[in-house]
Amino acid sequence: MKQSDAEILREYGPFDGVEGVHGVTFDGERIWFASGERLNALDSDSGAVVGSIDVAAHAGTAFDGEHLFQIAGTRILKVDPKTGAVVGSIPAPGDGAASGLAWSEGSLWVGQFADRQIHEIDPADGKVLRSVDSDRQVTGVTWIDGELWHGFWQDEQSGLRRLDPTSGQVLEAVRMPSGAVVSGLESDGRDRFFCGGGPSGLVRAVQKPPR
Amino acid sequence: MDSLITAAARAMAVGDVLGALKRVALRDDPPALAIRGIAMARLGDFARARSLLKAAAAGFAPTELVYRARCILAQAEIDLASRDLAESSSDLDDARTTLEHSGDRVNAAHAGHLQVRRLVLIGRLREADQILSGLSPAALPPAYQAAHELVIAALNVRRLHAASARSAIQRAKTAARAARSQVLLAEVDRAIASLEFPAAKLIRQGHEQAIKLEEVERILASNTTVVVDGCRRSIYLAGRSVDLAKRPVLFALARALAKAWPQEATRSTLLIDAFGARQVDESHRARLRVEIGRLRAELLSVCGLIATPGGYALSPQEGCELVLLDPPQDGPHAGLLGVLSDGEAWSSAALALVLGRSQRSVQRALEALAGAGKVRSHGDGRSRRWIAPPIPGFPTGLLLMNSITPV
Repeated sequence: MKQSDAEILREYGPFDGVEGVHGVTFDGERIWFASGERLNALDSDSGAVVGSIDVAAHAGTAFDGEHLFQIAGTRILKVDPKTGAVVGSIPAPGDGAASGLAWSEGSLWVGQFADRQIHEIDPADGKVLRSVDSDRQVTGVTWIDGELWHGFWQDEQSGLRRLDPTSGQVLEAVRMPSGAVVSGLESDGRDRFFCGGGPSGLVRAVQKPPR
Repeated sequence: MDSLITAAARAMAVGDVLGALKRVALRDDPPALAIRGIAMARLGDFARARSLLKAAAAGFAPTELVYRARCILAQAEIDLASRDLAESSSDLDDARTTLEHSGDRVNAAHAGHLQVRRLVLIGRLREADQILSGLSPAALPPAYQAAHELVIAALNVRRLHAASARSAIQRAKTAARAARSQVLLAEVDRAIASLEFPAAKLIRQGHEQAIKLEEVERILASNTTVVVDGCRRSIYLAGRSVDLAKRPVLFALARALAKAWPQEATRSTLLIDAFGARQVDESHRARLRVEIGRLRAELLSVCGLIATPGGYALSPQEGCELVLLDPPQDGPHAGLLGVLSDGEAWSSAALALVLGRSQRSVQRALEALAGAGKVRSHGDGRSRRWIAPPIPGFPTGLLLMNSITPV
């Protein structure tokens, strides 16, 4: 397994009225992050919050190219980012134990914090299609260049891990500095990760380890 | 942290305790136990809250320092609300450091506020100030800014800085409105009301009058008034002070002399007031001479003390007057009643700590007051608590806003 220390490129926040960052996603221009009662749109260049949607937002966030998906309580809400309307919802696996959320190739991927698992689910009805075991408490989940990454927070250490989506084998690990919690996780599709900073109220941009 | 824990913590943060409980009622994992514990504390069941929080703390791995720190924080808040002040606060200090290092600035600040409240309650104001000056409220959400200002107000009330207390309360009100927190707004209202209540009894040349904190501050700031302060057992003039808190006989003499001023206090009055003497004999007179000599030496910088035909009299310098401040309540246990007037249930150990007296003497006083119907108690043994009819005085409700901040 390849190990490295995280290179933090930039910190966004703290933001007014944001006590914690729970989920993070990226729509190509703006970073969206969940802060309890709100989804906030953050301009990744200026670092300013440029919009928000009032919706229950307790854990992971994802974007499928058209809609935002947001874990709220025991459900996953489907939100239209243009109007802010909730256009649908499915049950979240684990009955409220879900933490992270990612979209990839027609499926939603849902992190289970205490269970240390990632479920692939059908976005139509929430049915679990397969499960990948991790050996850490899973926070955020994301896909980048066909690689499955998740954030973890356990034993006061936080970081990122790349898993083999079939076997669950850990292929690569990135350590975050002490105190820098990874809650939500998303990539910009190229070479950066966006990491929710949990109770610090920050969003951090982290360099993807070079190949 | 997972979705339901976050949802429950959010519900708790906006005061929806039952909503929070509903979400985690069936879960026994440590984070859920912690939230259930905080909910029970909010509902006033401190015993159940303590056992849930203890179970939660035990359930977290020893390496899960942040979670454990948050449990310690919640337990410290319950200790404060139930006036269990005797416990040392070193755990809380460690918890604050852990939370700071983990980037949880909100809970770190909350830990700091709890430490300051505890220190203010037990009268260690300098240490309270030190911790307070290390906290920066600007980076905190409004609810915590409000809590911060209320802590500043409490400290200023204890320091008799009425104007600073009032402006801190105003800032707390603004922040509480921004936070839209009914709990905090109620706390602010209590703090405002408490400033309208008598803070002391002023005795000036035989006339008695109840006065508010502002008046106490004004009198203490006067350059021409010698203040014999029965609340703090000190004597003040123009910024100078003589602290007699640890010398009860000397203070009792000073108080008896101040009560008689500008007349003399007779030897027998002084002997009865200061020594509790019933019959006056020559050995008492000799002892009185010695103690008066000591008091005269102590008072040198603020007030003269002269012998008169029948006894002694205080003699402030030309152009100065002299007043006596007494606690607002009457009777021999006024200090004890003053502490109990916050309406909370106190243990005798906590009262002893606050008053700087032995637990046994506090217990005796409590039993006397209970006999006179002035205080009530409930519980037995170590869990016995004492309460007096509430007079708003010191703002410390149970806040427990967000001790389990989820990731």
